[in-house]
Amino acid sequence: MEANQQIKTTAVKGTDTARLVRAMVKNIYQSAHEAKANGQKVAYMMVASQYDEILRAMDIVPLPTENYAGLCAAKRDMDRFLLKAEADGYSQVLCSYARIGLGFDSLRKELGHIPEGSPDGGMPVPDMMLGSSAVCDPRFKWFQATSRYLEAPTFGMDVVAPPPQADLNAVRDYYIQYQRDQLSGLIEFLEKQTGKKMDKERLWEAIRLGDKAWQIWYDIDRLRVAVPSPMPSQDHFSIMVAGHYYSGTQIAVDFYQKLYDEVKYKVDNKIGVIADEKYRILYGGGLPPWHTLWIFNYFESFGAVFVIENVYRGFDPVEVPSHVKDPVDYLAWRAFLRFTRYHEKARAHSGSPLVEKLLGLIDDYKIDGVAFHACRSCRATTIGQTHIKSELGKYTSIPMMQLVSDMVDLRDYSEAQWKAQISAFIEALEGRGK
Amino acid sequence: MSAVQKIEELYNERGKRAKELHDAGKKVIGYFCCFVPDEIITAFDMVPYRIQGSQNDPIDEADALLEPMACPFARSCFNMALKGEYDFLDGFVAPHSCDTIERMYHIWRSNKPSPFNHMINVPHMMGPSSDVFYRKELDYFIKRLEEFSGTKLDQNKLRDTVKLYNRRRALLRELYALRKENPPRVSGTEITKVLVAGMGIPALEHIQLVQDYIDEIKGRPVPKADVLPRIFLWGNEIDDIAFIRLVEECGAHVVMDDLCTGTRFFWEDVSETNDPLDGIANRYICTHCPRSLKPQVGNRQEDMENRFGYMKEFISQWQANGVIFYIVRYCDTCELEGPDLREYLNSLKLPVLMIEDDYSTSTIGQLRTRIQAFLEMIS
Repeated sequence: MEANQQIKTTAVKGTDTARLVRAMVKNIYQSAHEAKANGQKVAYMMVASQYDEILRAMDIVPLPTENYAGLCAAKRDMDRFLLKAEADGYSQVLCSYARIGLGFDSLRKELGHIPEGSPDGGMPVPDMMLGSSAVCDPRFKWFQATSRYLEAPTFGMDVVAPPPQADLNAVRDYYIQYQRDQLSGLIEFLEKQTGKKMDKERLWEAIRLGDKAWQIWYDIDRLRVAVPSPMPSQDHFSIMVAGHYYSGTQIAVDFYQKLYDEVKYKVDNKIGVIADEKYRILYGGGLPPWHTLWIFNYFESFGAVFVIENVYRGFDPVEVPSHVKDPVDYLAWRAFLRFTRYHEKARAHSGSPLVEKLLGLIDDYKIDGVAFHACRSCRATTIGQTHIKSELGKYTSIPMMQLVSDMVDLRDYSEAQWKAQISAFIEALEGRGK
Repeated sequence: MSAVQKIEELYNERGKRAKELHDAGKKVIGYFCCFVPDEIITAFDMVPYRIQGSQNDPIDEADALLEPMACPFARSCFNMALKGEYDFLDGFVAPHSCDTIERMYHIWRSNKPSPFNHMINVPHMMGPSSDVFYRKELDYFIKRLEEFSGTKLDQNKLRDTVKLYNRRRALLRELYALRKENPPRVSGTEITKVLVAGMGIPALEHIQLVQDYIDEIKGRPVPKADVLPRIFLWGNEIDDIAFIRLVEECGAHVVMDDLCTGTRFFWEDVSETNDPLDGIANRYICTHCPRSLKPQVGNRQEDMENRFGYMKEFISQWQANGVIFYIVRYCDTCELEGPDLREYLNSLKLPVLMIEDDYSTSTIGQLRTRIQAFLEMIS
């Protein structure tokens, strides 16, 4: 960590609508505090767990602990939480989202109140914690560990996806059945916690809103194939808040409609993120460096714009068969179809769904180079990047780079090293004669 | 050759016997962790081979394909595969036990494919629907093995292999019982060699070896009682004697363990059910591993009792008076489990030393001072 590194963490956005997100983030934590005051149930939850609409349908206020870790990093107020977790015995290599969450909960317990000056007012004590195995292991294990600091009923839900080589016809039924059983178990748990039955009509309504928001979000991303790029990745890392933390609400639908209109206007009028777009970059994977998002603007100073990304994106739309009439069945089917979206393509070509997805993005978005972000404490989004880079290299000769730090722990970041790497990357792009 | 010598040879030349069997036409199926039932592979007349790493060799080639923040045990195994040391495997099976193993499976399969490759999805949650799902995954695994081998699984053969592996489990428990004595009749270092030796040979051969070994041990003169600390070891993968030998050299007896390479893979029997797969599925899904989540029970104390209570028997019967955690770095689930388990063990008045290590003999010596200080504290 350099002593003289920039204090600024956020990036200049490309769209006006993305600037509205800051208020939406504040509202997540404010709503949770208000809900607690009004006796409404608040749940620690994990993003992309396929259960968002259920929470909305049951009037449970979601409190995304991972998002809070990212917020602390963007505010450069993470060290006290990281160090507290480490002092409590958690390893410095453990997921830093989890370390921030555990450290925050530990400090709040020790002090008897929310730590002074916590970003956006801090998180209130939840009424329940809902872990899931979607994406990674810490996401179900973390809340179990949190029981050291607070007593709240905890539920863990499996989210399963078959490996790419599986014969989908052989495994489909039991994967969907298991997902349905897991979702039903969650509903049973929530009914017990709230004392009321889930209303299936309300769940259908939340699903309708969730699907609609994600469809518009997908349409926005399709608009982003335009040259020059109308919306950069730093905006994506803001606007994803609506899709992931307001899923199943009209707020998300309205937000994406507004963003769609703005992006469409920019495309129609050829208004780019920067005046002279030379290189179009794909953010190939890894959690974003929340502590240093201005790095996207640094790339832009060389004419390189991140035009699309492969993390925290909404899933591509899928078509659940019309014979599915039950909303819980629908959620199970939708999860299966989302996770297997690129399986057939992979089997017919590279063998890897991710390689197929990235090749599609490289082609559609006229990509000149790919940048990955390896996070030292995130195994789920980092392991495989080197391999994927190497696999992509079999099909494309565009330059690729891997920046290394962490999503929130600044101790793993070196500005000087990044700038040197970026310089070499830009040279490689220049060398290709564009 | 005595059993001790045979074990020594198998420990030092891992893979040698499996290679012989492969060369003789037997199909050898390599697998990771404790969630792939040996019984099923054996019932197909194939040889299950528990994939191991090497703490003595640096990880070099794997670094070009697998990030250094992945579990070093997994990286070491993959490194060996890239160097051709697992070329004798006819099959490669990985359970979705954790993030690293799941992701590495795809990288391994892509760079060093075996004639047969398969991943078993193992539920992280424990409960009735998880049992059903895991059983279905085993059915699918069997279907794939049938396609690969060209033979149908014989249910009677599967029943026989359940009995066979239960015999091995019983013998290993008998061997472990010799560690209850003061001083233990067999050291932690010796036990590790016996277990590692068994990972690469057919169960029948291991059974004979363990039986002979027990007979030899029982013939040893009974040593005088001592007052050295008795250590219970908890953690993940220890397939090398270096760490346990270090603890014992520092002046302690390693008397019991809860490790992926120790009791976790053999302690409980498979129930001999009418449909043998019922017993197999129930046994394997209940493997004690931090990667599996038991539904929360009662208050925190009750929940911890539900999670860790099984260790009480290990501690009381083997009279452990100190616990060392050996966590191979980057194992997120162990890293999250450790502080809870330490709290639980402390509540039983047991001191705990938590060690995070790089799975390398070159760094293990650095732990000596910490171990000595811990042993001094509990002596």
